Amino acid sequence: MARTKGYPEALEKKLADTRLYEDERHPEFTKTVEKISMTIPHMCYQCGTCTASCPSAPRSSYRIRKFVRRALLGLEDEALTDPDLWLCTTCYSCTDRCPRDIAPTDVIMAMRNLAFKRDIIPVNFLKTVQAIYTSGHGVPNNDVNRAARKKLGLPADPPTTHRFPQYIKGIQYILDYFELKKNADRIVKEREG
Amino acid sequence: MREYAFFLGCIAPNRYPGAESASYKASEKLGIKLLDLEGASCCPAPGAFGSIDLNVFYAMAARNLVLAEQMKKDIALVCNGCYKSIWEVNHKLKHNKELRDGVNEVLKGIDMEFKGTIDVWHLAELLYDPAIVGVQKIRDSVKVPLTGTRIAVHYGCHLMKPRKERHFGTTEHPTWMEEMVAALGAEPVEYRNKMLCCGAGGGVRGYDLVHSLDITNEKLINLKEAKVDALTEICPFCQLQFDRGQIEIQEKFGVSYNLPVLHYCELLGLAQGMTPQELALDLHGISCEPFLQKVL
Repeated sequence: MARTKGYPEALEKKLADTRLYEDERHPEFTKTVEKISMTIPHMCYQCGTCTASCPSAPRSSYRIRKFVRRALLGLEDEALTDPDLWLCTTCYSCTDRCPRDIAPTDVIMAMRNLAFKRDIIPVNFLKTVQAIYTSGHGVPNNDVNRAARKKLGLPADPPTTHRFPQYIKGIQYILDYFELKKNADRIVKEREG
Repeated sequence: MREYAFFLGCIAPNRYPGAESASYKASEKLGIKLLDLEGASCCPAPGAFGSIDLNVFYAMAARNLVLAEQMKKDIALVCNGCYKSIWEVNHKLKHNKELRDGVNEVLKGIDMEFKGTIDVWHLAELLYDPAIVGVQKIRDSVKVPLTGTRIAVHYGCHLMKPRKERHFGTTEHPTWMEEMVAALGAEPVEYRNKMLCCGAGGGVRGYDLVHSLDITNEKLINLKEAKVDALTEICPFCQLQFDRGQIEIQEKFGVSYNLPVLHYCELLGLAQGMTPQELALDLHGISCEPFLQKVL
């Protein structure tokens, strides 16, 4: 036994047992997160300033500090399957206050990217993709708004892909290039039938 | 007259057209002409697209940037979310060759190339910058001063944060927007935890509406405490969250605040003499009447 400090025997045993963690660790996860996020979660010393600054923390079990720790330890499954991953509002308060110059927000974004590769994603994100594929807009125009625009002397449709739909082709090309529409349709269908 | 390609985004033109209309009219009085950016799309939404695949996010934003490059005009926009996508991708692609080459490889398929020849600005920063407009000129353009009203500012997140990548200085307690509110004759009001997020971003509004509204509710409690007549912001998504959000909060939590929420461009238009009809204030979820009665 590595440590003999007179702890109760069960605790001594637990402290000595590192296999529990090693099985779950994927060192390449740490590297991938760092590459996508372009930030440095391995510099984290767990002060908790990020969680203290987080608007989501007081109203949920979401703890940004925990996710940064998971990035550092390579706890891939634990990080990507936690539903709290999707509670970050990306307000960047943690990033502004981190004394180690880490961008925890970008760590979360990288983890979400990796989760999507495993089909872990809330459907509302995919519905935005579908809306943009069809109209070029995440929040498209509607008839009430068209009438209001005309009353203001604005054209019924703004000079975006709404008035120039020939540009939608380019958007569809980009989304198809990454097979995003295909995957979005597939996942939405699997979830909602 | 300075000319900019006006990147509209989604929520301003498709939900709050008064903010779009006011942006054209108010900025023209201050020497800024906003030109149509034909064929622009969603920025794309940084929370949704950034979460799914950052490479798609970069390529989609780059397409919008290239449209402005082809016009040889800098982009001006009125939404913090759009700023996050358009400004940040422009900045990243200009400084990261690997990223730029990757994006151009995709854009090649639609005969486009990101060159990095333009800059991106939020209209609010152009209005505040004394080299372009400045607070004094805003003050001089006011015809109907908003005297006697107490107005609080919601800065939102993605214009100024992350601080180290931006150029706005402190994000703990900024006051430049308050100066712009004071220029309209209103009294800018401070309130508790001013820099708290509206709660809508990062896809949270769609993922967990109650969670996101709970954040908004906290802000509204703090605003109520400060006894303000209206809240102003520079992000139509925050506007949607505060304005339509108040109706949802009423439904879900049973509390009502009836706090009018106006985009700074709407407020500026009002102070320059535009009528509530010209600003389509009737499209707002929360009636602006009590505020308007104090002003007009």
